[in-house]
Amino acid sequence: MIFTIFKKELKDTLRDRRTLIMMLLIPVLIFPIILNVFVGISASFEAEAQGKTVKIGFVGSEDTYLLEKLDALPEDYGKKEIIYYKDSSSLIRDIQSDSIQIGIYTEKSFNASMSEKKPAMASIFFDATDMGMQDRAKKYINTIEGIAQQERYIDMNLDEEQLKPFSINYKNVASDKEMIGKLGGGILPYIFIAFGFIGCMYPAIDLFTGEKERGTLETLLTTPVLRWQILFGKMGVVVLSGLLAASAALFGLFLSIEVLDIVDNEALLEIIHSVLTFKFVVMLYALLIPLTIFFAGVMIPVAVYAKTFKEAQSIITPLNIVMVLPAMVGFFPGIELNSITACIPVVNVVLATKDLIAGTLDYGLLGLSFVVMLSLAIIAVFISYKRFDRESNVIQ
Amino acid sequence: MIEISDLKKEFILSKQQKKELATKADRTIAVNGVSFTCEPGRVFSLLGPNGAGKTTTLRMLSTIFKPTSGSIKICGIDAIAHPQEARRKIGFLTGSTGLYARLTPNEMVKYFADLYDVPKDEFEARKERLFNLLDMNEFQNKRIGKLSTGMKQKVSICRTMIHDPEVVIFDEPTSGLDVITAENIIKLIRDCKEQGKTVIFSSHIMSEVDLLCDDIAIIHKGEMLFNGTMESFRNQMQAENLTAEFIRIVNQTKETQS
Repeated sequence: MIFTIFKKELKDTLRDRRTLIMMLLIPVLIFPIILNVFVGISASFEAEAQGKTVKIGFVGSEDTYLLEKLDALPEDYGKKEIIYYKDSSSLIRDIQSDSIQIGIYTEKSFNASMSEKKPAMASIFFDATDMGMQDRAKKYINTIEGIAQQERYIDMNLDEEQLKPFSINYKNVASDKEMIGKLGGGILPYIFIAFGFIGCMYPAIDLFTGEKERGTLETLLTTPVLRWQILFGKMGVVVLSGLLAASAALFGLFLSIEVLDIVDNEALLEIIHSVLTFKFVVMLYALLIPLTIFFAGVMIPVAVYAKTFKEAQSIITPLNIVMVLPAMVGFFPGIELNSITACIPVVNVVLATKDLIAGTLDYGLLGLSFVVMLSLAIIAVFISYKRFDRESNVIQ
Repeated sequence: MIEISDLKKEFILSKQQKKELATKADRTIAVNGVSFTCEPGRVFSLLGPNGAGKTTTLRMLSTIFKPTSGSIKICGIDAIAHPQEARRKIGFLTGSTGLYARLTPNEMVKYFADLYDVPKDEFEARKERLFNLLDMNEFQNKRIGKLSTGMKQKVSICRTMIHDPEVVIFDEPTSGLDVITAENIIKLIRDCKEQGKTVIFSSHIMSEVDLLCDDIAIIHKGEMLFNGTMESFRNQMQAENLTAEFIRIVNQTKETQS
């Protein structure tokens, strides 16, 4: 009997355009859109930064050492145009109005200090909201400073090696896969969780509140089907919808990488291929299934209690923030899956998925996360049953 | 056959309901000590003004609500102890019944046949008979949401009768329907009676009651005011017509209570 109800509810749900859009269309499109926008923006930003002619305002005499060296820098350092200023106030004003991007102010004693081998004083002006300009200024100055340093070593007949007490190599022991998993891996479970929730939301409201609002539930309750069978049949569709939405997002990711070729970085592609294995998908679903049952179990009592579609939506939408917000924990690099975080619902799924991507998963903690999610799912189902069994909740 | 005895239903009031009803009481009694019997092959009418307790009584008969006290027997089955068995005997149709707009009449009727465990051959034969009788063949594969009110009413009827119930409960079945569409329901009630089924229907439209019923019960504020045959009701009438008599009985109770 549960299957009869499940079959009918699934058919009904799959014929609802709004649910189909939220459950399949948007999740499929989300990864191609995000990746396309991300790759497009970063590529255009890079190209723009490379091609942009930076206007540099200069205050100081024309024979200043700094100016001569700056002028002589090759175009590989980025195109530049030098504009002369008499004072620093007009220079600052023009940076603020974006007429120029970088300002250099040199003291009158600059060249004298250079000759005396003393620190020559200069100020660099920039607008930090103008992305990349601070880095560009540092690049110019560091290069010129390096040249000046070399010249002083030669003049003073010093061996550069002797002035360097240490020669240190900083080595990163994390693999690229681990870096991606730990630093960027949070986005993947976040999107699965967000869509798992949204995928459950519309069918939960439609199959419980909607049925009550449309006056079809009363008829269903007069049939010889037990209430828990009705609940389970409907709940099965809610859970399946959540899983379908998450799967559609996974399919969208596959589509972006394998069909649409949005990611063209070979090294990154290799890492993604090594992450997206059959084992990864199976383990991801082992976490997603109890999570989706938990979501359904939380939503159904609300949907049963609400009198109208609007009322249910107004309660479940804020619940979305409460449920999906912990998933953002995945964006913070320092938080790891341990015996405490494995007991926090949603957070455990995010952190376990991150570890899965990074290839550093502790199977004991994965088991603990699964048991926690399963226990919560069972409690949520029990609460749903209790709510659905109350006659005041199922009849308007 | 339906036998109900000393049926009582209390509802616990929520804070908002207390506010709406301007009461401090924690509970309200919707049905209080109602008893009657509906015989097979006869049409029993439950009459009462809005809020009298008709729908609550019928919901208890159809096992949607559990009574606070009292007993209900449907074809000899204790409906409180064995609601699943009792439901197999019941067909339930209300005026406010909704239908699954995204399904077709065919799918809807099949779904309910499955819920009642109707064997496949019986279902096919019964569906064919009902579809022919109600002239539903033309729109059997159209989405219900696209059908007219009259067509939807036919689907409701078919859904109610697909498991061939022995007892048919109608809760204000013609409410909101035009006379042409309501005629389908009137015809169905007559057919049920002819087939020897037990029929109970609630209404506040006296012309319908006069047209169809053999037995009548009047309830007001959950209490039974009259229970007897239509003939005995007519014989003891003090007003000039059925509607006037119904109003007189209800008003008389109001005066006694105040």
